[in-house]
Amino acid sequence: MDNIAGTKSSLTWAVNLSVIFLVLLWLVPTIGLLVSSFRDRDQISASGWWLSPFPVEQNFRVRAPLDDLAQDGPLYVLEGNVFGEGSGSVSAFGGTSRAPDANEPGETAELTRDRTLTVAADGAFRYTSPAEIKREPSIYFASETPPDFSMGNYETIMASDNMDLAFINTLTVTIPATIIPILIAAFAAYALAWMDFAGRGLLIAIVVGLLVVPLQLALVPLLQLHNKVGIGQSFLGIWLAHTGFGLPLAIYLLRNYMVGLPRDIIESAKVDGATDFQVFTKIVLPLSFPALASFAIFQFLWTWNDLLVAKVFLPSNSESWVMTVKIADDLLGSRGGDWGILAAAAFISIAVPLVVFFTMQRYLVRGLLAGSVK
Amino acid sequence: MKTKLYAGVASIALASGAAFADGHQPFAIGDGDFNWDSYNVFADQYDLSGQTVEVTGPWTGLDAENVEKVLSYFASATGAQVKYSGSDSFEQDIVISARAGSAPNVAVFPQPGLAADLASQGLLTPLPDGSADWMRDNYAAGQSWVDLGTYPDKDGNDQYYGLFYKVDVKSLVWYSPEAFDEAGYDIPETMEDLKALTDQIVEEGGTPWCIGLGSGAATGWPATDWVEDMMLRTASPEDYDAWVANEMKFDDPKVIAAMEEFGYFARNDAYVDGGASAVANTDFRDSPAGLFSIPPKCYMHRQASFIPTFFPEDSEADFFYFPAYEGKDFGKPVLGAGTLWAITNASEASNALIDYLKTPIAHETWMALSGFLTPHKGVDTSLYANETNKALGDVLLNATTFRFDASDLMPGEIGAGAFWTGMVDYTTGKDAAEVAKGIQDRWDAIQ
Repeated sequence: MDNIAGTKSSLTWAVNLSVIFLVLLWLVPTIGLLVSSFRDRDQISASGWWLSPFPVEQNFRVRAPLDDLAQDGPLYVLEGNVFGEGSGSVSAFGGTSRAPDANEPGETAELTRDRTLTVAADGAFRYTSPAEIKREPSIYFASETPPDFSMGNYETIMASDNMDLAFINTLTVTIPATIIPILIAAFAAYALAWMDFAGRGLLIAIVVGLLVVPLQLALVPLLQLHNKVGIGQSFLGIWLAHTGFGLPLAIYLLRNYMVGLPRDIIESAKVDGATDFQVFTKIVLPLSFPALASFAIFQFLWTWNDLLVAKVFLPSNSESWVMTVKIADDLLGSRGGDWGILAAAAFISIAVPLVVFFTMQRYLVRGLLAGSVK
Repeated sequence: MKTKLYAGVASIALASGAAFADGHQPFAIGDGDFNWDSYNVFADQYDLSGQTVEVTGPWTGLDAENVEKVLSYFASATGAQVKYSGSDSFEQDIVISARAGSAPNVAVFPQPGLAADLASQGLLTPLPDGSADWMRDNYAAGQSWVDLGTYPDKDGNDQYYGLFYKVDVKSLVWYSPEAFDEAGYDIPETMEDLKALTDQIVEEGGTPWCIGLGSGAATGWPATDWVEDMMLRTASPEDYDAWVANEMKFDDPKVIAAMEEFGYFARNDAYVDGGASAVANTDFRDSPAGLFSIPPKCYMHRQASFIPTFFPEDSEADFFYFPAYEGKDFGKPVLGAGTLWAITNASEASNALIDYLKTPIAHETWMALSGFLTPHKGVDTSLYANETNKALGDVLLNATTFRFDASDLMPGEIGAGAFWTGMVDYTTGKDAAEVAKGIQDRWDAIQ
């Protein structure tokens, strides 16, 4: 008995370990993004996020201000502290940028033209020169800097103009663009699954075929159509566009799920005199809830994260920007160099989809399996 | 001691996207050395109350904020409302909206090639009569600007479509004056000196150059600028034009020679920070940071006039003109680029806006804001926001030859495709002749 139990537990152990390993592996980019979101652009380009929790030794340059110039016998002397008003600890110093850490603190460095420089560990320095000092000399030193994180990126995003409007715009686009296709697709899927009519197979084939048509193909003609019928670039336009782009997958998914429902139930309902509409609303729809929910998650995530369709079908003024457009065209700065903002924006915009996902995710796997394993 | 720079970022983000209002204008009308006469004359000429002009362009962030400020003067002069919207993917957006018939009134093209494409499909409206003559007379090297904005329309007739407003100079080498001073380096006046300085830096144990080609989907473009600059320094302007038009083949020995001139710097492990293999992997936005690190990772960085935006906060930088060969007689060529304002949806107000861009005040207001250069001869150059910009403007005005960025003029598939990827292949070790032949083959294939 011990033996069997031992084998079992060691296997579970291995499974658990590999699961933990895989989860960590998958999480690494997200963790990196999260850490980066608390750092500014210069910090991000200076060192990797994995180094950010540790204090780093950094080289600094300060100019010794000339107003403290004093004369000590034949020498001109500048004294002061490299940390100015603040405090810190110097771990090395030097007189040129090529060798900023050539000397130990407390040593006296011989510089060119008989100049000397001494920097103590607490930052006090003494710079001497036999000739008059005309330009502020640079002093280089190395000092350990503690890790530095800040909420600056988040503050920038939250405080930017029209961010609340962009959030509301995104919801205005996303909610109808999720509900409309589900409504239409549920009816269509029932018809394709349970109603007998000529050409049903062909219709299903066409819907499946539409799944592989890239939506980019339709952008220009669809916008032209919208302009012709007078919708133009508007929220109504983007709802219709998202509905159209989402329908093939919705119909396919729901139809495959509904086809798998037990035939007996539907037939007995019909024998009892139920109409197709009653069968649909009273039986099929409640039973298909997992599939409906899983598609809702899909469509919600896709419309929430969408940038392309929003740029094409919504007006380009800042009052109708959705969050993705706001982030890409406004917050990222000229030529998109602000990585920190991008990272922070990703975490802000991920919040709502996360809530949606976690409230509905138990349906996701069920719904998906039901649709595919047929 | 530590640099805190959130304030700057925050203020940029805060101010963009605000509506136009008089309070938004950085200079009070009538104040300062600006040419307010030109403003008043223009204001008397137009009354567009109730009309709206929609402008779209590639600028986002700080540049978008500036263009909104500049356009607010047009709004206050005419009573029209101006709506600017910048897009990170302008090149795709404008094509979609123009084809679908929902284009804004005026579009700002960063690449003449794209404007030419739209013009040939009949999606652009020629500028008001007399614009080309005005350009010829009032811009330094006016004729070359007119040529760059003239394209065949749908029926093949040449029309003048684009007014250049906001120009970038590309033939620049950026450096840290502090580092140069400490090491005792002088600004090289000729290409021979520049190469000597490069060797000198290596001998003294430093690394002369920072070069980065990374730019997401556009990786490779900084190298095309290098090659174009080299082309202007090793071949005549006529050869350059022939190359752009593909009358001179891409695998011509002169083009290959220019590529190898770039390779002289970029493919030498000792010359480039991180070694030649790092060139293609380094992001162009990150590469200039090496100039300011302690100890300096490199001493020079060749890049266009916009690059200071990406310098670390609080860094002191200066530039010098990317010099020409003393031993070759091609003058002082300057490579540049610029944005082209074209009418995508004609209206009375859009024509007025184009007219407004011809007034000195339209140029001076942005000059005083930063990040703007102009070849307009009628502006007061003392209004440039800082000495650096003024010096950049001088480079532009003193050029004996001005040529537009070749890759922006070539067909998109070459200039924004094969040329970019070809240069990445070249810097990672492929033979120049082979790369050039590959690009020419692609060009042959699309003709």
